Amino acid sequence: MAVDVREAARAESTPPARPRREITTAFVVSRIAVLAVTAAILLYAVPPLAAAGSWAALTLLCAAAAAVAFLYLTRRFVPAKYLVPGTIFLLAFQVFPVVYTATTAFTNFGDGHRGTKAEAVTAIETGSVRQAPGSPEYALTPALRGDELVFLLVDPKTKQVSLGDPAGLTPLAGAELGLTGKVVSAPGLTVLKGPEAAARAQDISAFAVPTPGGLIKANGLSRAVEGRAALAYDASCDCVRGPDGTWTADEEQGYFVNARGEHLAQGWQVNVGLANFARALTDPTISGYFLGVLGWNVVFALASVLGTFALGMGVALALHHPRMRGTRFYRIALILPYAMPAFAMLLVWRDLFNRDFGLVNQLLGTHVDWLGEPGTARLGVILVNLWLGFPYMFLVTTGALQAIPRELTEAAAIDGATPWRAFRRVTLPLLLVALTPLLISSFAFNFNNFNAIALTTEGGPFPAASPQVGATDLLITYTFRLAFGAGGAQFGFAAAISVFIFAIVALISAVAFRRTRRQEEVYA
Amino acid sequence: MKLALRHGFVLAVCAFALFPIVFVVSAAINPRGTLASTELLPTGASLANFANLFGSDTYPFARWFFNSVFIALVSSFASLLLSMLAAYAFSRMRFAGRRAGLLALLLIQMFPQFLAIVTIFMIFTEVTELYPAFGFNTVWGLLLLYLGGALGVNTWLMKGFLDTVPKELDEAATVDGATHAQIFWRVIMPLVTPILAVTALLAFIGTMSEFLMANVFLRDPGSKTLAVGMYGMIAGDHRNANFGMFAAGTLLTAIPTVGVFLWLQKYIVSGLTAGAVKG
Amino acid sequence: MRKRALGVAALATLAFAATACGGGAEPAAPAASGTSAPASAAAGGGTLVIWADPSRVQPLKPFADAFGKENGVTVEVKEISKDNQTTFLTASQQGSGPDIMIGAHDWIGNLVQNGAIDPVTLTEEQKAAFSAKAMQAVTFDGQVYGAPYAMENIALIRNTELAPDAPATIEDMIAKGKELKKAGKVKEVLCLPVGQKGDAFHVYPIFASAGGALFGATATGDPDPKKVLLGAPDSVKAFEKLKDLGEKGDGALRTSITNENYIVNFAGGKCAYLVSGPWAMADVKKAGLSYDISAVPSFKDGKPATPFVGVQTFFVASKGKSKALAQEFVANYVTNVDVAMALYKADPRPPALTAALQQVQAEDPDAAKFMDAGKDGTPMPAIPEMAAIWEPFGIAENAAVKGGDPAEAAAAAQKAIDGALKNN
Repeated sequence: MAVDVREAARAESTPPARPRREITTAFVVSRIAVLAVTAAILLYAVPPLAAAGSWAALTLLCAAAAAVAFLYLTRRFVPAKYLVPGTIFLLAFQVFPVVYTATTAFTNFGDGHRGTKAEAVTAIETGSVRQAPGSPEYALTPALRGDELVFLLVDPKTKQVSLGDPAGLTPLAGAELGLTGKVVSAPGLTVLKGPEAAARAQDISAFAVPTPGGLIKANGLSRAVEGRAALAYDASCDCVRGPDGTWTADEEQGYFVNARGEHLAQGWQVNVGLANFARALTDPTISGYFLGVLGWNVVFALASVLGTFALGMGVALALHHPRMRGTRFYRIALILPYAMPAFAMLLVWRDLFNRDFGLVNQLLGTHVDWLGEPGTARLGVILVNLWLGFPYMFLVTTGALQAIPRELTEAAAIDGATPWRAFRRVTLPLLLVALTPLLISSFAFNFNNFNAIALTTEGGPFPAASPQVGATDLLITYTFRLAFGAGGAQFGFAAAISVFIFAIVALISAVAFRRTRRQEEVYA
Repeated sequence: MKLALRHGFVLAVCAFALFPIVFVVSAAINPRGTLASTELLPTGASLANFANLFGSDTYPFARWFFNSVFIALVSSFASLLLSMLAAYAFSRMRFAGRRAGLLALLLIQMFPQFLAIVTIFMIFTEVTELYPAFGFNTVWGLLLLYLGGALGVNTWLMKGFLDTVPKELDEAATVDGATHAQIFWRVIMPLVTPILAVTALLAFIGTMSEFLMANVFLRDPGSKTLAVGMYGMIAGDHRNANFGMFAAGTLLTAIPTVGVFLWLQKYIVSGLTAGAVKG
Repeated sequence: MRKRALGVAALATLAFAATACGGGAEPAAPAASGTSAPASAAAGGGTLVIWADPSRVQPLKPFADAFGKENGVTVEVKEISKDNQTTFLTASQQGSGPDIMIGAHDWIGNLVQNGAIDPVTLTEEQKAAFSAKAMQAVTFDGQVYGAPYAMENIALIRNTELAPDAPATIEDMIAKGKELKKAGKVKEVLCLPVGQKGDAFHVYPIFASAGGALFGATATGDPDPKKVLLGAPDSVKAFEKLKDLGEKGDGALRTSITNENYIVNFAGGKCAYLVSGPWAMADVKKAGLSYDISAVPSFKDGKPATPFVGVQTFFVASKGKSKALAQEFVANYVTNVDVAMALYKADPRPPALTAALQQVQAEDPDAAKFMDAGKDGTPMPAIPEMAAIWEPFGIAENAAVKGGDPAEAAAAAQKAIDGALKNN
């Protein structure tokens, strides 16, 4: 077996006791460097947090910094010293988003239910503001009375100038009007010119002049209208009242609902417990197709991994020969598919497969509706994925082959083994040590390879009888369609399905990974 | 004879690898290039598309090019370092949670990114307010995000390779009184140059073509990367009008990658390890 | 002991060095922000952020700059090239969205239900200045939710060297197309994108002419999402007509004609008829062939072939940071005829302002012809439920075109849509 050849199996479970070491300059310098970086980050990050008053974040940051400082000052926890730098980024930008997103599986987060109830109420009230019937469209000139913002409002028909302040509207005399109907000057007031008004844009849009019928609010910087909200939220009954009736808050649906069961358009995010999970399991359009999609998904991922590996390794081996010429040229040609932007090439491939205009049929002299029939579409996407992925395998195998001492293969040749036997007995096992983890992660990647499907077949072809699921749909593209295709974005539901998919992949990967344990322990 | 067979096989694979690219080349040098009208062999030859690409006011292509190369270089270097450190720990040390950690590393990549985008928005809205230098529309924010994925696949790749480096080497060094850090930097790193080079190249390519996150992050025409900017070229109504330029851009995108590959090639095929095992 | 002492010493030194450093840097930071704030205030204060798709960023720039100069603010136009609506919603909700978003009017329903946009108050005069159809499109639930600036609809573009006369009916068009194909002058009867997933937007006029319908109407005449009509007998008949035009019938509709290649095929002379919108004209003109534009014909004795009309609209984001500026820009600036004309020059789509449109019609006959072709068109339904229609409809169309059973396809689409809308 390869093990004997390698002489790597020396059973040394306990490493020799470590001799005490002196403090070296490198040690001091590296510690200082780590601490300096930590301190610098802390100094950069703290002031804005303190200014914003995010005390929880501040505490977390300081605790993390202290932990990092401690970790690198002590001699213990050696593995952690190597793992922490990457893990910090991982936690912040991968683990946290994923965990946070997964928690939305218990909510109805999605279109119509994106925000909070308060935001929904604001949107409902704002959306219902109508111009008060018969009220004028005022020409607006913002002005200052001392430091206080006021509105100078001109009725375009009567040219009557009024002054609006938080107390209400009062007629104003002595104002001079410009050609556009705006106020040029007014006694005792500083008129705000264009840029000065723009500088106070936020105050202006927040400013309101109460009137008997409603409120006069700015519409932009140069006009103001008297408006009235048709709908108003009433906290006492937790409902929205309007001329057409009353809508009561339904905390289970996240909508304001009236007696007839109709709801206002704007809803809010509520907790729905396990409803999303239940829907994923019971909805016939999901559970009915699930196994079929899963089956094809596994086939697709396996075919992608094994295909790319076989082809990549094949060319790597073919080039791995001392007398092989032109390897530099070949290598560049072979990595080119990988160097081209994948999304662009996927779009190109889709057109290459076109029945009437595509290059594939032209070159082969066939007239096949490649992406229009289930069988050929599946073959097509695997082929495209092979094209995209084999250079990756080619590169890593090339790298791995370098690590196999030529003496070993030569020794095998001297022993009279055929090249095939030498490959099976020596090269392949050693390659697999290096590449098995990679093959597993490649499987996991392809299992969820959204782009390979979304940019080529979009899941199709679809049988006429079931527009929800296509022949080349992977679980992930299928989820995407369920969650975002119809009825708007349903993040909560999509998260629930993702959790299921996640569990499946985790199971498959964990089983595959377990099988590597023996191998790892033997070789490492 | 056997060499001829090898050449034959490799040439066949090269043909498979290159024919869609030849198609793109022919679209790029065809001044009226469109996705659907292009034939395999070019029907016209002109560099107009390339000239348009660099002369365009609408598309600051040179700027995108620079952004992409810069981000890809910095990010691949940093992620290489991070994942190498982690891979060393996973391969050489035995600690509680080691295998669980490895598996978790793999699984965390499995969660669909299109869902996590909402959370990414949430995080970076906050970051943009507190630290504008690392917020939306900045290269540094995007780099931070990319480093979040640094441990993912690369750690697995390198761990696999480190497992093939005989443990006797570091044990010998330990006996000689070297610290784990010295072993890492002086013994292990030089041994795994081919893998470092391969991983660096893969990280570089991965960043060059990353689209999903960059698209969320970069909205100023001047801050875009090639992937985002070029997607904009063919998005919506301009798909056909810009296809020639797009094809030209696609080809140019491959150039830095090929450059990095040429630079790293000597490390990838150095055969350093072969000698080292003996010693 | 030695080690620990060293560590502590190092930490102390470091802390000191860092504070020293920080001491220098610290005041600098507030100073920097302090100077930048007055600087921008001097310029007028605030920024107005506009998000647009790639086709519109460049045309908008000059007006954005002019608006900024007039009001002393900075205007930034940023490009979003993918999933614009979703990105806008997500960013907006998290508070990092723009002040103004540009999009199609059919987003309104979804934007409103997510509380992402504010109504825009236009004066009666302003409203009257727009074409009635454009105003109808941006009005949702009785409220105006944006300022329209361009309208687009599909029409029939024909190569007049091959087909000199505008066809009166679909039957005429197919007959002529087949004749040309037989004579070897063209390769395709008709260039109308179908693709592997169907294309509801482009086939809709034909579907409507054959009697098909998407939704029933509510009492007020708006589309009623509770009444999906894809599986209704009339719609099934329409799908049957699509089948007759499809691959097993006349061969006019083909799945191999896609969104990527239909314009190119026409420009390359591979077909005499193209069903497309103003966006095709750049390619058509570049090809240098002689063309004419007319309405998509209807079936003989059929209903009118009404295309969908899409209206490009400026929206005011409800969570924008400069709402007054955004309102000013949308309600009082882009509604200006000069701005509309300039926008048209930069990106030639028929303007929604009637005065601008009249000017354009005088200068550009194509725009007039497109407008004319769309005069009976219906604004695309803006209700959020419309999102559920496109894909099942497209797939049913694709199935019919490939020669599948229209009744089965229509029923499946109906079921899928009802399921998504929870109508059952």
